[in-house]
Amino acid sequence: MAEQGGTAEQSKTVEEPKVSAVELKKRAKADKQARRAAQKEQEGAPAEVPPATNGAHQEPSAQGQGVQQDQKGKAAQAKGQQQPKPSKQGGQDVRPERGGPSQPQSIPPRSKAAPAAPSKELPKRDNSVVELLSHLYPIQRRPNLAGVSKDVHPAVLALGLQISTYEICGSSARCVAMLLAFKEAIQAYTTPRDTSLPRHLVSHHLSPQIDCLRSCRPLAESMGNAIRWLKKLIVELDPDKPEHEAKDFICEEIDRFVHERITVTDQAIAASARNQIRTGSVVLTYAKSAIVEKTILQAHEQGTRFRLIVVDSRPLFEGKRLATSLMRAGLEVQYVPFSGLAHVVKDATLVLLGAHSMLSNGRLQSRVGTASIALQAHKADVPVIVCCESVKFSGKVALDSIVLNEIAPPEELLLSPIPEKSPIHPAGVATTAVTGKSAVTVTSAAISKDASEDDEPAKLKTLHEWSSISNLRLLNPMYDITPAEYIRMVICEYGSVPPSSVPVVHRLANEGM
Amino acid sequence: MPHATHPPSPGLQALIFCGPGLSLNTFTSTPSTLPKCLLPVANRPMLWYPLDWCHRMGIYDITLVTPPDAAPPLEAALRSHPSLTSLSGPRPEVLAPKGLEMTSGTAELLRLGEVQRVIKGDFVVLSCDFVSEVDGSRVLQQWMSLNPALAAASSSRRKGGLAIYYPTYGGEGISSKRDETDFIATAPLSKPNVMPPMGSLRQEVEEVVMVMPTDTLNDTLNENKQALPIRQTLLAKHGNVKIRTKHRDAHVYFLPLWVKDFVARNEKFDSISEDVLGWWAKAGWQHGLAEKLGLDEVLAGKRSTEDEAGNGRSVEEEEEVDATALSSTKSAPAPVRQPPQAFATRVGNSAAPPSRPKLAVPPLLAYMQPVSPAQPLIRRIDTAAQLAFISLHIARLQPSDPSPLAHEHKIHPSASIGQQSRISHEDCLIAESVTIGIRCNIKESVVGANCEIGSNVRLTKCVLMDGVVVGDGVQMVGCIVGKRARVEGTSTAGSKSGVAEVEGAAVKGKGKGKQKATAQSGGEDDNKTKLTECEIAPFFVVEAGTEAKGETMKAFDTEGELGGDGEEDVGDEDDEE
Repeated sequence: MAEQGGTAEQSKTVEEPKVSAVELKKRAKADKQARRAAQKEQEGAPAEVPPATNGAHQEPSAQGQGVQQDQKGKAAQAKGQQQPKPSKQGGQDVRPERGGPSQPQSIPPRSKAAPAAPSKELPKRDNSVVELLSHLYPIQRRPNLAGVSKDVHPAVLALGLQISTYEICGSSARCVAMLLAFKEAIQAYTTPRDTSLPRHLVSHHLSPQIDCLRSCRPLAESMGNAIRWLKKLIVELDPDKPEHEAKDFICEEIDRFVHERITVTDQAIAASARNQIRTGSVVLTYAKSAIVEKTILQAHEQGTRFRLIVVDSRPLFEGKRLATSLMRAGLEVQYVPFSGLAHVVKDATLVLLGAHSMLSNGRLQSRVGTASIALQAHKADVPVIVCCESVKFSGKVALDSIVLNEIAPPEELLLSPIPEKSPIHPAGVATTAVTGKSAVTVTSAAISKDASEDDEPAKLKTLHEWSSISNLRLLNPMYDITPAEYIRMVICEYGSVPPSSVPVVHRLANEGM
Repeated sequence: MPHATHPPSPGLQALIFCGPGLSLNTFTSTPSTLPKCLLPVANRPMLWYPLDWCHRMGIYDITLVTPPDAAPPLEAALRSHPSLTSLSGPRPEVLAPKGLEMTSGTAELLRLGEVQRVIKGDFVVLSCDFVSEVDGSRVLQQWMSLNPALAAASSSRRKGGLAIYYPTYGGEGISSKRDETDFIATAPLSKPNVMPPMGSLRQEVEEVVMVMPTDTLNDTLNENKQALPIRQTLLAKHGNVKIRTKHRDAHVYFLPLWVKDFVARNEKFDSISEDVLGWWAKAGWQHGLAEKLGLDEVLAGKRSTEDEAGNGRSVEEEEEVDATALSSTKSAPAPVRQPPQAFATRVGNSAAPPSRPKLAVPPLLAYMQPVSPAQPLIRRIDTAAQLAFISLHIARLQPSDPSPLAHEHKIHPSASIGQQSRISHEDCLIAESVTIGIRCNIKESVVGANCEIGSNVRLTKCVLMDGVVVGDGVQMVGCIVGKRARVEGTSTAGSKSGVAEVEGAAVKGKGKGKQKATAQSGGEDDNKTKLTECEIAPFFVVEAGTEAKGETMKAFDTEGELGGDGEEDVGDEDDEE
């Protein structure tokens, strides 16, 4: 009861400014009731002192405004103090009752309440969000069909599902898949009466599709560029053009876009980048990039003899896929986990990286971990070359991974499938601890012991219950930012350019369209 | 129940096969008046369940395929039955192809010109006796996300299929050992890229490599001296095959458009579950089988340039840009022109090297429902026993339960219940306009609309369909009573109730039943009617004082009398709805 009162008060203080007098009165009443209940509990059941004090102990603090702020536990409640003030004006009857019973009790329980307060405050904070990066969390990831707008075309819906399960992953793959799905959606479109396709299509038909994709995973930079291009194309269409002609025209243009900006570009980049691989080279790459794969395959087909090191990391293990395809092609591949990076980087003569996006200050946004690779390579004096289509170039600027990033669901870091609401059994803990190589699991086990102090002591928690462990947060960022200093060269279809030329290429390629 | 928000259309159309219901022939012997799909299951027509399931997935383009003589009652019911009219969305189309016999196989049905014309895109095939608590959209979601990348395009011929299999054991009160089973061998899919979120069915989706009904399995076993021959190529392709014999096909198939052509090409296919799926599953690993079945041409379709990812992408055919090759979570398939290397055990032996690139048969997936005590219900109602099990299971659901099958009212407000009658609320279901006399005791039972139950009646584990009249003092345990049947109570009570005109049509079955009944009840001092585990056909009249156990009571002059037991003839009509 007392705790409920506490949460209610907190939420009230937030929306304080815009409440009417009637509501204030209501609140005052509710407060009073809560206090009374707390009092009753105190009198009736002295064993339950700590919960009851929470309710009781606001009153003295309300009376002695700002006097007792020295205590740590008070800090949170200081906010709550503003609350009784309006209630004084609203409901006069509250005032006289307040002083009586609370004063004698106010001093002794407070010392108890103060240490208890933080543990009580914690669960209220959203445990699943890392504060510093809270702006990056997607509003809500939809892993299911429910809640999607009914205007969404089935092809887009299916694509959204495939993107959210990472069946289609990678900036250019998503971009191509999106454009092809949009082609379907556009073909299914009919212009309503009294409007024209260029005016209606984008805002009423295309935007639900885009929203659906965005809800499945934040859009990649390349997708953003492609959407911008597509919107411009549609808006600039002649409104008098017959509908089917217009639709066919858009689809042809989409095909041309995919062809020019991705298919042919990839070939051009691979043809240019493969010359960087010489006989005897040791190429190090990270995760999987379609262009890097193509470059390596082309160099191999050319007859260049070289060795390959694929560094990989959790949770997607994209490097495994790259290693598999290259191995199948007959290359000599060394597959290394991320932890072995320092060891293998010494052998490398060239680092080839793919990109999620090239930012305008020359920095590279790519799969999380890329920055460390580039840093290590830079230290070992190994040239770092980025292969990136111009469609991925961005006008944005970021100095660190905090401003621009994508936070994937933390559950994806878990090693074993989530048990279906099975009771927590100690065996589960044991297996996770043994099999789990990641540091997270181990810490969670350690932390769960700490956390268990205020809970039932015997209950061990697995990583699956991470959200209920009060002092554990999981963070699963998708990308990081590599400083421009570490990048020797960016190979795009406009040629090999230094990172500082990224804004120029971006303007050429994406803004003049 | 109307839904607040319509789910987005998954771009599928549904075909619901409304068949004759051979194994429910006690109740469905005259399809022109009461086809199987209109049999009440927990006071809703059976058809309501697949229809509602489709609607929850967002599928509103529904076609009911039914034999011509069952079409009029079906159409009438769609127009007038309160349960069916309360479903939101457009009314489903009824298609009654002329050539459709009651005994046609399901694949044969798909080959019919009328049906072929109706199928315009990817489709889902259901049978009318399908009941599921598992949300269809969750299954559908797996089908959509596990399709090969970029096969999202509606015209794509690379999409796979998905079937649903449920365990016939482990469900309390709804599983019986007599349930029909299928033999199904599956190989695990590649591991998901990340742990699927809570509630995802991804873990239970597997790839089918062999499937056949248990009958066929038994035949194969008998032919081969109790051994099941398995080809080496299966093991070469799939190292980890799981064989299940206690799961059953739910007869729900999510199928891509090309299956229509596949079925049309292969005249010998008789049923979907055995032939279409069986051959498709095999074609995935057996050398040369896909070509033999014409799958290569079916899959090539109109577009002849089906590119194999990785090597030699056709530049001029721009649509075929392969996002799979670009995706960072996919690896390129092994190049075909290379001789198998030491690691490439999956490529198979080089004894029969295909001259052209090997045909990539789209995967046939299966959602294998796991066995757990609290498993959501997935069942087919094709025996009387199942009908009773499912009805009683649904009757046990509380209105507050999350199950989509739960009724809003356990006891309909319009039902009138006499004094001192006891009805156990938690496991009974009483429909509208039911009258129940005094001092009745009703437990674990379903009472259909407009039933009249006399006084002192005891019903336990009974299913009463619509308009059943039960006389005074009748005791019934585990009985299934057909529509408008009449169970007479004590002779005095029977005349007292004075509703003799209701069953005017019912007299024809009277003769034989009476003989039987009186033979049974000979020497009975008490004049009470006691029935245990009986099935009573629609419009049948059970004489007062009958005492019977485990019998099927139906009029003699209708056909199908020989197989009248209802519980043993579950053998061979797996797909004939």
